[in-house]
Amino acid sequence: MPILHTQLRAQAKTPQGQVVEVPPAVVLQRQGPCVQVSIGLAQSIANQLLQQGKTLPKPVSGVALIDTGATSTCIDDAAAKELQLPVVNVVNVASASHASTPQNVYPIQVEVVGLPISIEAPNAIGAALAPQGLLALIGRDVLQHCTLFYNGITGEITLSI
Amino acid sequence: MLDKERKYFEAHRAEWLKTHPSKFVLVKDEELIGVFETQQEALVEGARRFGTDSFLVRQVEESEQIVYIPALTLGILRADSAHPA
Repeated sequence: MPILHTQLRAQAKTPQGQVVEVPPAVVLQRQGPCVQVSIGLAQSIANQLLQQGKTLPKPVSGVALIDTGATSTCIDDAAAKELQLPVVNVVNVASASHASTPQNVYPIQVEVVGLPISIEAPNAIGAALAPQGLLALIGRDVLQHCTLFYNGITGEITLSI
Repeated sequence: MLDKERKYFEAHRAEWLKTHPSKFVLVKDEELIGVFETQQEALVEGARRFGTDSFLVRQVEESEQIVYIPALTLGILRADSAHPA
């Protein structure tokens, strides 16, 4: 079973300007469980387009936050455009303050860097994630294929597929 | 996005609930292209016909699915405690 085990690391500057290591537990608490991912068009669709002789955009790499609260995986809208992903549905995303909002749905393939397996997420929702420094949120549609250990004490996460 | 397709789906939802319950329909503009057992089959056929143009693939169900993404909808993405660590 492929396993990704990582301890989050970061540096910070003291008021005196000295660079210090931030404890992994603090990094994990502040950033959340983040992993490097590479995202492209869903493989089943990509295969079909390749058979037609079409050229596919290269996958986009970035940081994804593992979000156990999210029903579905989300992809940054700008990245979805860059990847020329077709919109294949529109879903209503529940909102706390007003009526649910319609959001585009894209068929994507997520590869977690460090794991030799890609997972297809045919219902990835477009959202403005780039301003948060994120390419994607990994939701429960992908996590249903995974085992996730969150060790808040040591600042480590373990993800296996 | 997909305004025409979504309107067409809504106009035919009741009819398709009788004829194609729980199946996946592929709709482009105001035309039902096909009915499929799985979402993947519908997506592949959509890509075969329309390439990277947008098309609608939706399961025929009584009500529309609502997705919950609290980090986005509550505006708490990358929120941090007000208390110092």
